[in-house]
Amino acid sequence: MFINTRKTALLRPRLGMVRRRDVLFGGGMGLGAVAFSAMTSAKGPHHKARAKNCIFLLMEGGPSHIDTFDPKPKLDALHMTKFQKERTKFEANMNTGERYYVKSPFTFKRAGKLGVEMNSLFENFAECADDVCFYRGLRAESVNHPTALYHLNTGNQFGGDPAVGSWVTYGLGSENKNLPSFVVLPDTAFPQGGAANWSNGFLPAEFQGTPLRAAGAPVLDMAPPAGVTAERQRAVMDLMGALNKRHQQQHPEHAELAARIASYELAFRMQAEMPKVLEIEKESKATLEMYGIGGSNKDTDAVGRRCLLARRMVEAGVRFVQVIVMGWDSHDYIEKAHSARMRAIDKPIAALLKDLKQRGLLDDTLVVWSGEFGRSPDNGIRAGGQAWGRDHNATAMSTWLAGGGVKRGAIVGATDETGLQGVEAVHPIKDFHVTLLHLLGLDDAKLRYLHAGREKQLSQVGGEIIREILA
Amino acid sequence: MRILALAAAAVSVHGAVDVLSALKRDCFGCHGEGQVLSKLDLRSREAMLKGGARGPAIVPGNAEASLLLAAIEGRNGLQMPPGAKSSAELVAAVREWINGGAVWTAWKEDYKPEDLWAFRQPKPRDKAKTVDSFLGASAAKADKRTLIRRVTIDLSGLPPTQKEIDEFVKDNSKDAWTRLVDRLLASPRYGERWARHWLDVVRYADTNGYSNDFERPNAWRYRDYVIRAFNEDKPYNRFILEQVAGDELFPGNPEALIATGFLRAGPWEHTGMSVEAVTRQMFLDDVTHATAATFLGLTLGCAKCHDHKFDPLPTKDYYRMQAVFATTEFARPKLPFLPTENASDLAYGKSLLQKVSDDVKTKMERMAPGYQQGRGKLPPDQFEEYKLYQKHNALHKESLDRYEPKAFAVSSGPRNGETDGGANMRYPKRAEYKPADVHVLPGGNIQAPAEKVAPGVLSLLERYGGYPSPAVPETVEGRRAVLANWIANEKNPLTARVMANRIWQYHFGKGLAADANNFGKMGAKPSNPELLDWLASELVERGWSVKAVHRKILNSQAYQAARSEGRRLEAEVLRDSILFVAGELSEERGGPGVFPDINEDVARQPLHRMGSLSPVYRPDALKRMRNRRTIYTFQQRSLVDPLVEVFNGASMDLSCDRRDAATVPTQAFTLFNSQFAHDMALAMGARVSNVSELFVRVLGRAPRADELRSATGTYRKLLAQHTAAVPAPRAAARPVVHSITSELTGEQHKFTHPESPAAYEHNLHPSEVTPKARALGDIALALINSNEFVYVY
Repeated sequence: MFINTRKTALLRPRLGMVRRRDVLFGGGMGLGAVAFSAMTSAKGPHHKARAKNCIFLLMEGGPSHIDTFDPKPKLDALHMTKFQKERTKFEANMNTGERYYVKSPFTFKRAGKLGVEMNSLFENFAECADDVCFYRGLRAESVNHPTALYHLNTGNQFGGDPAVGSWVTYGLGSENKNLPSFVVLPDTAFPQGGAANWSNGFLPAEFQGTPLRAAGAPVLDMAPPAGVTAERQRAVMDLMGALNKRHQQQHPEHAELAARIASYELAFRMQAEMPKVLEIEKESKATLEMYGIGGSNKDTDAVGRRCLLARRMVEAGVRFVQVIVMGWDSHDYIEKAHSARMRAIDKPIAALLKDLKQRGLLDDTLVVWSGEFGRSPDNGIRAGGQAWGRDHNATAMSTWLAGGGVKRGAIVGATDETGLQGVEAVHPIKDFHVTLLHLLGLDDAKLRYLHAGREKQLSQVGGEIIREILA
Repeated sequence: MRILALAAAAVSVHGAVDVLSALKRDCFGCHGEGQVLSKLDLRSREAMLKGGARGPAIVPGNAEASLLLAAIEGRNGLQMPPGAKSSAELVAAVREWINGGAVWTAWKEDYKPEDLWAFRQPKPRDKAKTVDSFLGASAAKADKRTLIRRVTIDLSGLPPTQKEIDEFVKDNSKDAWTRLVDRLLASPRYGERWARHWLDVVRYADTNGYSNDFERPNAWRYRDYVIRAFNEDKPYNRFILEQVAGDELFPGNPEALIATGFLRAGPWEHTGMSVEAVTRQMFLDDVTHATAATFLGLTLGCAKCHDHKFDPLPTKDYYRMQAVFATTEFARPKLPFLPTENASDLAYGKSLLQKVSDDVKTKMERMAPGYQQGRGKLPPDQFEEYKLYQKHNALHKESLDRYEPKAFAVSSGPRNGETDGGANMRYPKRAEYKPADVHVLPGGNIQAPAEKVAPGVLSLLERYGGYPSPAVPETVEGRRAVLANWIANEKNPLTARVMANRIWQYHFGKGLAADANNFGKMGAKPSNPELLDWLASELVERGWSVKAVHRKILNSQAYQAARSEGRRLEAEVLRDSILFVAGELSEERGGPGVFPDINEDVARQPLHRMGSLSPVYRPDALKRMRNRRTIYTFQQRSLVDPLVEVFNGASMDLSCDRRDAATVPTQAFTLFNSQFAHDMALAMGARVSNVSELFVRVLGRAPRADELRSATGTYRKLLAQHTAAVPAPRAAARPVVHSITSELTGEQHKFTHPESPAAYEHNLHPSEVTPKARALGDIALALINSNEFVYVY
């Protein structure tokens, strides 16, 4: 919609736009309310930021730390040892009854100068080991997917609170007013709990994450129904504009009217800008190949596209990008299922880090890789035979961080010898959130919003910075 | 220790808070403030543990070994305060407090009087007053056109027709306004409009949320109950009693049973992957918080982990009120449909869903005859498909219950065979049922319970408002009955104020107290407390009639004054109004949720449901169903109509006490580009014969000369284009193909969703109408996007 080249020329550069609006609508009143991320709400960083942007790689389903970045040889010895776990009122059904320790079906290799052990399937990502801080001390609370996802994404196990990306954009504002400042790149399916995972919660609506669907329009209804020409749209727009102008004269004190008129123009600018960000075909062949996109890259194409898009978004000034990769919930057949997931992400995530680095973006970009919880060293062997997998485990998991402000080439924290529990540098999710905010220049204790009688904050009740992972 | 008789009477037996305030009043003078006799300071738990010359004052958990109790009782040669005998109540309270661990719920006495206004009793009502007598001179009266549009949208959620406008404008009789108000209040549209406000507050949804997002198949009966309650002007106190304790207070009354759906309105799920004790606690927290926020305007949830930081709400009070719900269990009892309920589409709806469900079962049977637990027995590639059918089957099974005469309700204690909560909840038999103990959970941690508490109400209203706290029985039944009566009482200083404020807010866009769910310190202070109190007392004195309060407000000059700023139509009003002016609104009322046309990308979006994918969203085949008012649309927590969402619809997870109205550019996309907007515009274009008629339809007025000129000019230009371009015929429906990533193998499997069994009754398509209708449709699109249509003044 709103296709009009004459106008496009007038609307750029952005400063020119502001002036033009001032002329049209008088002092730009009320305009703060209509930008995708209103600068009026942003207070700017609380302290010097270590990173300007964040790419959060969310591994939905709970990747097994034991089978990815935190191998446990002890389980080889314990393999198929049986024990009984009583059902107490604090255990989920899933985790009780007859249990067996199970070894990892994978092999591991040391990577980088750091010598961190990781699954041999991470052939490409292994080359990034010295740019990454592996963190083995994070501790979730819920063993249930939706509540654990809400916890990781919003700080609260109940749905409905603002997502991390919403808090960050609320705190920092947007670098590009023509694009949403918090973008979500979901897998083909939306995750459990759906859009509440990127909800603005009680924050103003402009801080909601904008999901770019795998199919259909990147932003809903950005284009009119098939067959509607630009010419027709222009005519309808102009008529509406004339009616609105007259109406506005009758209600001169109603500032919101100008904002709504301007919102149609902002929509237009977004419509012009968004497709440009999405044109990944414009990237060089080498870049596409590096991310594992197209050609013979069947396994990596989907995640590769999302990772490349994430880089392009960050380049264009999107503040917070969340890439979701689903399918880590391997209760059975972990060898097959986790293999497929690791193959799908290995090339793309390695490319993302290398690409950010070669473009000088890694210093300003915080990259985070995490699931909502880890997996258990044991399981209930529901399928019989060797088709084992692992159940959910909130007390141990693996995450890693790279880029702005975090250690490069480090292992922080540790889990016990079977991988059941974190034992070193153990921190709850709220500390993780406080740390992410800190790196982005925000102080969780100051980043507050009054809702329902309480000054709310991402950590809910405050938390501490995980100093061990800071550079 | 000298306790005045009056104070003793006001001390509720279980309140640690009262122990501390008694200590403060009677002991601190010698032991802490100013002097510290016998080296004993009683001003903190730590100081008590440290004790004085004779040793520690308290031994937590052991009252008999505690010197403090001995001193109060006059044992062991101690007698405090000197020369006074303590009341038996206080001795009992101190004993209980120490035995409960001497939890120090410090009652800060630094509350400022202005922060406690809502907990105090209002002054007696001055009957002679009016709304306007509390306000300064109002602005000049708005013109009649503006007024009828304002009040019609306000009370019915739809714009007035041109005929209604003209009649009102011409009507110069003295009672023209009051007759208009009466007509609107008597219309069933009123309940549909005002019930939506209530559903915002209680977070109404037709599904449970979280990973499976199973349907709450009979929740629609609660939605219709709320609509009926508003239409019948059910006394507000009765409305409260029914929702909080309808089952206990009015046994055998079907309306009252349906009303208890309120208690379950929050998101809730229990699966094999969640912990039962946690799930139960989540419900208890939710219902405690929701009840306090909805009826009392209190942020009680803040007191879950620690004493409320701003309001006199100790954690102990939180758990005492929670204990009221400790015996509240989910129930889905049989309950025949009422004559006031709309059961006319049940057979039709059931036949369709049954067919879908049967087809799924047939496919499962074909893949694995007689097979129930597919895991491991089928090859992985077939298993994903099988698992998807299993999931759909489970979802259909729940959804089919929406056509059955059952209630979405609760019971006190489990009902044998009629409990409701999914396969993973274990309910004891009624005979073996014992109410669970409720403990204070410091930090909200269920694994570290502290002192056990008895059920009770919030003590702050007795303390500050002189409104006595009733005793709540510890029996299985009767707890909620006491709570409900305590809330729905004219002496409760919060109840009427909170509701009167809500009513005012929806009429004016802003409450007298701006935070309708928070009457505590952090909520905005009322701009006109006298007016709020007067309105609250009007509500009570008029038999808790909400419509009486509407009339008081609507008949005021304040309401009828010209307004410089307008309000944007709420999402539902916007959608309903577009349907209405397009002549497409179906005004059938009540019954299970309907499925409107929604953005196709959203409808086709694959959505994870624990372990598999959701069935695809299909709008209702019949226009008369899918084009009903938005309040009747199926409210799915995991899939919200993007039109409602983008226009700041209410969250189904957090209580929404006031709609946000922020303008964002995605709203422009929706209203200008969506298929819905284009379909409705075209329907209008086909219904009218010229541009003027469109103005009348959409804006309720004829165009002015200059408007007619520019609209006609645009129309002619468009007509030429439409005449030259022949629209492509309607595209065939594309099958919905989803790929599922196998949890077992990580491989992708393609799955084609079955088509709906009912033939979709299409909206008008451009290829089916004349170029003229298409050009007029474009003009209609401009009109429904115009500020005049979207704002109300």
